[in-house]
Amino acid sequence: MYAALLSNRYLTSRVIPLIAVGAVALCVALVIIVVSVMSGFLDMLKASGRTLIGDVIVSSGIGGIPHYDEWLADLRALPEVEEATPVIDTLGLLRMPYPSGPSKEIAPVQVWAIEPASFARVTAYGEKVWWRPPADDAAREAMLPDDPRLRMDGSILRDGLTLTQGATGKPGIVMGMHVSVGNARQSDGSYRPRFGWFMPGEEVTLTVVPVSESGTISEPRDATFPIVNEVFSGVYDVDKSRVFIPLAQAQQLLRLDAAPLYDTTAEPDAEGNLPLLGTTPARVTKVLIRAKPGVDALAARDAVEASWDAFVAKAARRSDRLGRPPERVSILTWEQQLRDLIGPVEKEREMMRILFSIIYIVCAGLILSIFWSIVIEKTRDIGILRSVGASRLGILWIFLRYGLAIGVVGSLAGVGIAWVVVDNINLIHEAIGRDAPRAAWITTCALSVLSVVMALRSLVWRGRLLPGLLWTIATVTLGIITLALLGHRGTLIWDPSVYYFSRIPSQVDWFNAAITVGGGIVFSVIGAAIPAAKAADVDPVEALRYG
Amino acid sequence: MAEATPSHPGESLRDAGRSRRPPSAATAPPILAAHEVHRTYRFGQIEVPVLRGASIAIGRGEWVAILGQSGSGKSTLMHLLGGLDRPDAGRGTIEFDGRAVNLGAGRSLDRYRNRDVGFVFQFYHLLPELSVLENACLPGLVGGWFGHARAAAARRRAGELLEQAGLSHRLRHRPAELSGGERQRVAIARALVNGPRVLLADEPTGNLDATTGASILDLIAAQHAEGLTVAMVTHDSSVAARAQRVVHLRDGQVVDG
Ligand SMILES: Nc1ncnc2c1ncn2[C@@H]1O[C@H](COP(=O)(O)OP(=O)(O)OP(=O)(O)O)[C@@H](O)[C@H]1O
Ligand SMILES: [Mg+2]
Repeated sequence: MYAALLSNRYLTSRVIPLIAVGAVALCVALVIIVVSVMSGFLDMLKASGRTLIGDVIVSSGIGGIPHYDEWLADLRALPEVEEATPVIDTLGLLRMPYPSGPSKEIAPVQVWAIEPASFARVTAYGEKVWWRPPADDAAREAMLPDDPRLRMDGSILRDGLTLTQGATGKPGIVMGMHVSVGNARQSDGSYRPRFGWFMPGEEVTLTVVPVSESGTISEPRDATFPIVNEVFSGVYDVDKSRVFIPLAQAQQLLRLDAAPLYDTTAEPDAEGNLPLLGTTPARVTKVLIRAKPGVDALAARDAVEASWDAFVAKAARRSDRLGRPPERVSILTWEQQLRDLIGPVEKEREMMRILFSIIYIVCAGLILSIFWSIVIEKTRDIGILRSVGASRLGILWIFLRYGLAIGVVGSLAGVGIAWVVVDNINLIHEAIGRDAPRAAWITTCALSVLSVVMALRSLVWRGRLLPGLLWTIATVTLGIITLALLGHRGTLIWDPSVYYFSRIPSQVDWFNAAITVGGGIVFSVIGAAIPAAKAADVDPVEALRYG
Repeated sequence: MAEATPSHPGESLRDAGRSRRPPSAATAPPILAAHEVHRTYRFGQIEVPVLRGASIAIGRGEWVAILGQSGSGKSTLMHLLGGLDRPDAGRGTIEFDGRAVNLGAGRSLDRYRNRDVGFVFQFYHLLPELSVLENACLPGLVGGWFGHARAAAARRRAGELLEQAGLSHRLRHRPAELSGGERQRVAIARALVNGPRVLLADEPTGNLDATTGASILDLIAAQHAEGLTVAMVTHDSSVAARAQRVVHLRDGQVVDG
């Protein structure tokens, strides 16, 4: 009753509660903004990690999976599976078309040999092929005038999607965006050729080493491919090392294609031929699977595993020993597969959370000290209330309400601030990236002149110290801001040519925001409760002596 | 209002007692009494005994003035009588209406301060954030969690008391906007709003000029005439003259005459 009356009065008749609300709001906003951006990056990393591997990934040893076509057919028939695609994954050396002169640069690469059509249905490959004409006028508008894509026609994209040089019919190679050093990343996240080294149209030589099932290494083999396009997945580790070539070419190079097998232990016949044992089936080392929409990756993984077991059982009944599937394959969801990539970032986020709990503690200390001064200021009032019969709990309740109100208002205001900032973080970032507009510094300069006048007015004409001091502080602050704006030469804090993602994530992490708001309220209530309990414990006479 | 509890069997008689003419102080048992109370202040090793076995008995309907030099312990004694402070452990009791006031803190002491006695301080002690009317109602709002009816009753009673004190045009003002005399009237209204049987006033006129002080004493006298018991501290003998009986506090003890 009186608790409500008093806590409302205390809230509305002083400046201190406003300061407390501001402090809570800023602390809450700070935590939400930083954690939201961090989580946003993690989500972006996960999403782009997933783009090139589908939902479930099956990997075998170098021996590969024979009769994979049959298994792919089994997989495609599963209700959980949308599409499956075969891949050969191997290491290679790429002789780059630069620099000019006889000695060229050699880049180690991870080669993925794919069937482009089904690969594009399992992964986002089709969307990630970089060089393509602008899709529409809006996209054309968005590109800077020197963007090479503005001069392209659809053939380059078609070649990228089919891994074939359309003009010659030759099988082509598509390289990760950062395999070639010729691609210079721009501040808008697009690419320009560096030193005129524009890759599509050039030729590269790929050297791979076939490895037999038993682990013996054969003579390295190489082939020359025209570069038909480049691909940007959004994961730097992938983009700097991965190249794509057609599956059939890789099978030939790596001797994973179907081939007759002769008995080398027997005597050659009259014509010098060894007896034919049979045909070794073509093999691949990976199968990537996309789950049907709405099917969880883990559920799809289980279905794939069951299908694999059935496939192995079926193969065991087969007569030819050559087509035996390997004993063990690893079947992982995309998240499990990417653990190496995601793990460190998740750890980093945990680190940030821990660092931020220090900020939480600082906030709690701030709130506590503000409340401490508020309550101490009210000690005499507490004595009066106790002298007319208010109980200790009644006193505590006044300040709990008070802290609760400040915590709720402050935290909600903090969410509001965080939401506005996170939502506009790219705009804010761009504004920082440009020179300050003239209007901005003229405004602050004018305001600072105005506050000089106000300062003089209070100090000289009215002889008031506090407003004079405040206006002087305002003058100095505005002056510094003016100078800073004048001196500000657009610096990009988040430079997409350095950092890998071209946009800062601008999604509030609402779950985390809710936790932070809860924390803000709890800390406010505790911060008010501690000094209030202390004050309520003082005997009324002691409290009345105060002040 | 009528919340009869085992610890206060005389509670329901209170209003009846207020309207009766007081019985003679000599014959009736005292309404409020201190027995052999000691109060010692400690500064580290040094002990300053302020009250040394002080006893006082205040009869029903009586108006007692406590005189004494500055620093003699008058305020200390009043605080003990009003339940704002406690005697040294085990050294003395306070009795109200024939029962020992439970000085072990807790709810019964809060209740005692809220209902049984009203306290007026030398320095008014009003809450600056509340209006005159709200200040005067305060004890009525304090004594319970559910009290819309009680709050309304307290508001009515505070209005009446403030009107008697000539402050009905000031109800919405803040204490800071009032003169010292006006503030003390508000403090008196606050002390009386829950209908206590005893008013404890610690130098109610100490901060006021003679005329204003006299008007405050008139206000108290009017309440006394309606049956209120008054114990008043002063060091001004002309103020003490308004009381029926004067006692002195000397060397930590209460002496008559
Ligand atoms: N909380 C306290 N701590 C220490 N000493 C105290 C305390 N309260 C009172 N005293 C001391 O006890 C003595 C009596 O104080 P008290 O306030 O009761 O005197 P008083 O008779 O009311 O004086 P005055 O007429 O000036 O109001 C004084 O010497 C004072 O210094
Ligand atoms: Mg005193």
